[in-house]
Amino acid sequence: MRILLIEDDSLIGDGLKTGLEKLGFTIDWFTGGNDGHEALLQTPYDAVVLDLGLPERDGLSILKDWRNRGQMAPVLILTARGDVDERILGLNSGADDYLSKPFSLKEVQARLNALLRRSSCVIKPEISYKNITFNPQTRKTFINNGEVILSPKETALLELLLLNRNKILSKETIENKLYSWEDDVSSNAVEVHIHHLRKKLGKDVVRTVNKIGYILED
Amino acid sequence: MKKLNLRIRLMLSAIAIALVVFTVAGVLSWKECQEKVAEFFDTYQLSLARGLSSTDWDDVSEYTQQISNQIIKSVHNADEEDEAIGFAVFDNIGNRIFHDNKYGKYFSPFGRNSSFSTERIGKEKWRVIRVMSTDKNFIIAVGQELDYRNEIVEEMFEEFMIPWIIGLFLMLIAMMWVLTIEFRPLNKLAKNLQNRHDSDLSPLNETDIPSEIKPLTRAVNHLLKKIDGMITRERSFIADAAHELRSPLTALKVQLEVAEMTADKPHALSDSFRKLEQGIARSSRLVEQLLILSRIESGEVFEPEILNWQQLIQQIIDEYKSEISAKQINIQNKFTKAAFLTQGNAFLISLMLRNLVDNAVKYSPNGAKIEIKLNNQSLSVCNSGIKVDEEQLSKLGQRFYRPSGQTAKGSGLGLAIVHKIASAHHCQTKFYNTKTGFCVSIFN
Repeated sequence: MRILLIEDDSLIGDGLKTGLEKLGFTIDWFTGGNDGHEALLQTPYDAVVLDLGLPERDGLSILKDWRNRGQMAPVLILTARGDVDERILGLNSGADDYLSKPFSLKEVQARLNALLRRSSCVIKPEISYKNITFNPQTRKTFINNGEVILSPKETALLELLLLNRNKILSKETIENKLYSWEDDVSSNAVEVHIHHLRKKLGKDVVRTVNKIGYILED
Repeated sequence: MKKLNLRIRLMLSAIAIALVVFTVAGVLSWKECQEKVAEFFDTYQLSLARGLSSTDWDDVSEYTQQISNQIIKSVHNADEEDEAIGFAVFDNIGNRIFHDNKYGKYFSPFGRNSSFSTERIGKEKWRVIRVMSTDKNFIIAVGQELDYRNEIVEEMFEEFMIPWIIGLFLMLIAMMWVLTIEFRPLNKLAKNLQNRHDSDLSPLNETDIPSEIKPLTRAVNHLLKKIDGMITRERSFIADAAHELRSPLTALKVQLEVAEMTADKPHALSDSFRKLEQGIARSSRLVEQLLILSRIESGEVFEPEILNWQQLIQQIIDEYKSEISAKQINIQNKFTKAAFLTQGNAFLISLMLRNLVDNAVKYSPNGAKIEIKLNNQSLSVCNSGIKVDEEQLSKLGQRFYRPSGQTAKGSGLGLAIVHKIASAHHCQTKFYNTKTGFCVSIFN
């Protein structure tokens, strides 16, 4: 899942980026409001983590502008103020959830997972497909209740496929979701991950649609 | 010594004053009584003497005396008051030819004529007047015992004073009552203050109180207002501080979680620790600055001393040497011997300079010029290459205010501290843009 993080505080931003990446998210981090605002218009992010107290441009005005332009990505706002008014204002301006500082990384992860679940119309916290079960919070995958060890990128790819069931995902889309702007992506990276997934989860788990992409079919 | 309650003290003073006035009035009244009684009896004696002097005494004999003695005896009633007045009639050679048969027989014929004199007869003092008869052949002496007069004076005085004593007593009771009523507003005021809830700092009612208590009420209200302002300031300070601490705390928390996740990778772990350290240093600096700011804001008095500006400025420049050379900043230090401020607290002034230099170095682009100017008018620290929006200039110096678009780390407290330290030295702070950059001036 590719997440847009807009946070001006260098230590918080760095911690969130490093931590969330370790938890399987792909993070693009911006410290300035203007760059961050532009980023969502350019790239299809799965969710946004937006700090409201931005120096360049107020977080709320960015949020309103996104919504006015029809951006649907779920937004989790981070506020430094504990007061209810600001939270209400944030939610009314188009935010989907909020967190007050000081928050913990695990909570950011849990809230992001909840937002992603909702935007993908998944009801249960665990996602199941045939005999495969995946838990987004613990990042663990099981086949018939036996754990399968997947690399973070493979996990992210599986999650992407599970959340977009019966949809053809192009190689480009997959790259976009799995890698941030600063990652170097080799041209056959997606093929390699698909190959590994099939090896670990079974050959028929992902179908290749010729020259278009990949699909996980019921 | 414990001071007595004001009401009791007023009462005691009133009693003391009343006693003094009463004594003075008493003494004067006593004198007046004495004079009046003396005047009265003197007139009485004189008119009796005159009456006797116009009587024909030529035919008076032993026999007349005897008859008159009997008449006097029979007329003298037992309960009739004895006015202790006596008389005697002498012929011109001093023979007593007639008397009242009681006191007159002891009178002497010799003495001053036609005027009163005090004479000793036996053990008693007598007031005596002698008058010549109209035919100059007889001397008439009329006398009264002075003790009797004194008795009359005493009686008169006593009767005169009793209503006064009762009046005084009534007056004191009335005063006590009036004082109790008049002290009611003061008691009410005290009760109001005593029964107040700790957090109630609303002003006292200033209407319907005697003008004597008004200054006190006003002073109390002034104090209450001051305390209220102080508490509001403290509260907003604590709220601001708590708010400002949220971000460093979040950073620490998140970085700590990252460290936990990377426990098995030494390289990543040491990176996390480095960031944790940064976070802790940032939090400590914030807390330190908050403490200093709160100390200055609370009005703590710092000892003034003679300032050695040159040394103070040089120390700060030396402190920032590495940052200055890293950014290739050209720092210029211009000062005249006479400084605008000669006395101050060196610790605070040095802190102010550090914040000014820190600010200038932090926000200057590479290769910028920093100028520190000190003269008898002001101290100014200017840096080239960066300007602050006009509308944001006025907000600089407010605590936790950071102009937008900043990448440098800061708490937003630096210029607030500069401003507060300048105020503590009765100086003003001005933030302004020049043609080439941004300046902070301190002047008085």
